[in-house]
Amino acid sequence: MNHQITHDPAFSMLRVDLQPGEVFVSEAGAMAAMSSHVELEAKLTVQQNPGIGTTLGALFAAVIRKYLGGESFFVTHYSTPYPASVWVAPTVSGSIVHRRLEGGQTITLSAGAYVASAGNIECIVKYGGLRGILAKEGAFFLKCIGNGGDLWFNSFGGVDFIDVDGTYVVDNGHIVGWEGDLEFDIKTAGGGFMGFFASGEGLVCEFKGRGRLYIQSRNLGSMTGWLLPLMP
Amino acid sequence: MHYEIRQRPNFSIALVTFDAPGEELVVEAAAMVAKDSALVMKTSMRGGLLGAAKRKMLGGESLFQNTFTASKAGETIWVAPAAEGDMLAFDMDGVQPVYISSGNYIASSPDIVLDSSFQGGKGFFSGTSLFMLEAKGRGPLFIGSYGGIHPIQVGPEGYIVDNYHIVAFTGGLQYNVKRVGGMKSMFLGGEGLVCHFHGQGTVWVATRGAAALARFINPFRPTEGKSKSGGLLDMVS
Amino acid sequence: MQCELLYQPVSTMAQIRLNAGEQFLVEPGAMIGMSANMDMRTGLASSNQGGGGLLGKLATAAGRMLTGESFFQNTYTAQNGPGELLLAHTLPGDMAMLEVGQQGLKLQSTAFVASTTGVNIQAEFGGAKTFFASEGLFLISATAQRAGEHLLVGAFGGIQEFQCDGSLVIDTGHLVAWDANLSFNVTKAAGGWISSYLSGEGLVCKFNGQGRIWMQTRNPQEYGTLIGSLLPPRTN
Repeated sequence: MNHQITHDPAFSMLRVDLQPGEVFVSEAGAMAAMSSHVELEAKLTVQQNPGIGTTLGALFAAVIRKYLGGESFFVTHYSTPYPASVWVAPTVSGSIVHRRLEGGQTITLSAGAYVASAGNIECIVKYGGLRGILAKEGAFFLKCIGNGGDLWFNSFGGVDFIDVDGTYVVDNGHIVGWEGDLEFDIKTAGGGFMGFFASGEGLVCEFKGRGRLYIQSRNLGSMTGWLLPLMP
Repeated sequence: MHYEIRQRPNFSIALVTFDAPGEELVVEAAAMVAKDSALVMKTSMRGGLLGAAKRKMLGGESLFQNTFTASKAGETIWVAPAAEGDMLAFDMDGVQPVYISSGNYIASSPDIVLDSSFQGGKGFFSGTSLFMLEAKGRGPLFIGSYGGIHPIQVGPEGYIVDNYHIVAFTGGLQYNVKRVGGMKSMFLGGEGLVCHFHGQGTVWVATRGAAALARFINPFRPTEGKSKSGGLLDMVS
Repeated sequence: MQCELLYQPVSTMAQIRLNAGEQFLVEPGAMIGMSANMDMRTGLASSNQGGGGLLGKLATAAGRMLTGESFFQNTYTAQNGPGELLLAHTLPGDMAMLEVGQQGLKLQSTAFVASTTGVNIQAEFGGAKTFFASEGLFLISATAQRAGEHLLVGAFGGIQEFQCDGSLVIDTGHLVAWDANLSFNVTKAAGGWISSYLSGEGLVCKFNGQGRIWMQTRNPQEYGTLIGSLLPPRTN
């Protein structure tokens, strides 16, 4: 799909050029501007015709998300009778990264990182386990598998990548996504019992294996913690 | 240790590399982004219980700090402020002090001491949990801000700065805190306490105010008594 | 007066240099610093216009209060020599200095940061209440009798200028300013209220005509809602 990312790296906005018959999907609320004849439809899943399992997974995620706070889990499907443009922007400041996924290529994203997709992309919601219960913005992951499609995801802050070969520890809220042969394990940051509650480093993820880890230089959990004492 | 500040100037993040085993970095709680698994983290109340309690009540920083110790050269740690903004690193020489706003402290070498009770320190921020700190010692001192960090070269004619935007200033400057435009403008005009600097030195100001952001977000918080559960429509709002 | 925008586009700050005696009208809370010879006076907003004495001034000030701007405004004057002002708005993002012509510009209320003394600012009611999905946001109409009058606006995110040539739809939370000659109407984003609500798009503004539209690449209400939802409830 013809697209352009502007205002990178801090306030990235994505413009796609939509042809009749093409479908473009974005996270709910991301539309900033569009040609006047584009039609919008709200849905629960990225796929056009999801199976019952995928739909239930997405519904479950949406309900849990509501309790934990965070962004809505709905997505918007765009279509148009004439060539048109759509501009989408994420909620927080940061970059938009584009990946073309072919032949079953997979990238796993932190749920809040999904911005948009087009073409043959399947996004499956995966529950994060322990991470999901304790980490507000980390309740879910989105496993994105592409067989000829475009995926756009965003970071809160700048995006950096770490090529892991062995093990590496990342604070929970700073994970954008990863690809490759990586397993992760959720741990407390260290320092024993006192370390877990007192240090502010609630949870960390230890990644093992070989792959690329995308990290963001800011995290919503820390930011809300920093803001709270400043509230009037 | 040596360091590199990346993603400048908006999402600055410091990548610190330890040069020898046993080297330590003290980090503000929640400022660590990522680290080598081998780094050992120890949580403590810096300055003893009394010192820590005073810093918590007055300084706006948390009671606890994490000290990371390297087991060998080449181990790395990434630290960043919580706010979107820039970072500054001072290579402290053990002689010259630097004054920093408590909300801006990120990390430092263990030799650096932070003191809130220096002469003239009170009165910068009345009635809030922020405090001005005097930093002295040897090694790197990392601070972060909300927004960009703009240096102002102060000369004899002076410069006036809104207190809540002060990030840091060099020793040797004279300063006095006052209200701009009288009492009326403090409550109504938006500018409250300002600091009039004069002499010779540098004042660093943040181009965004954290307190103003907090006031913007506050109305969006859920209100007490309104339950988070609800029907289908509640789910999507 | 000279204006230099520093730290663009995220942490933008305006460095304003005034000649001796020059004045600048500034939204309270926008000042970061100023040279020691600047005089600051607080007054009722828009006291630079004519308009029937105290009652007229109060009415205009009340209008501004309803637009989300402060009741008061600060007038800065450089005394005994040139002076400097450092200004910024609350959220991260870009700023722009826009020239206000006779035709004028319309602004989303929280975008206003400062203006030269010859700009006439009016709040717009009636119909504007449904313009934004969020309360407290209204429209401002800015006009000027002579050339060379400017508005300093602040955005959440980057500023993207669109040339509307026919029609264009913009999410209302992303609007900063537009040429006053454009006609517009506010509608829901998707067909049907439910779909529009679920899709997260509250209201959109459909513009018609020829003119410039300045939009911001982030939506403050969406951001506030996200961060607010992650914070504990407030008691006030």
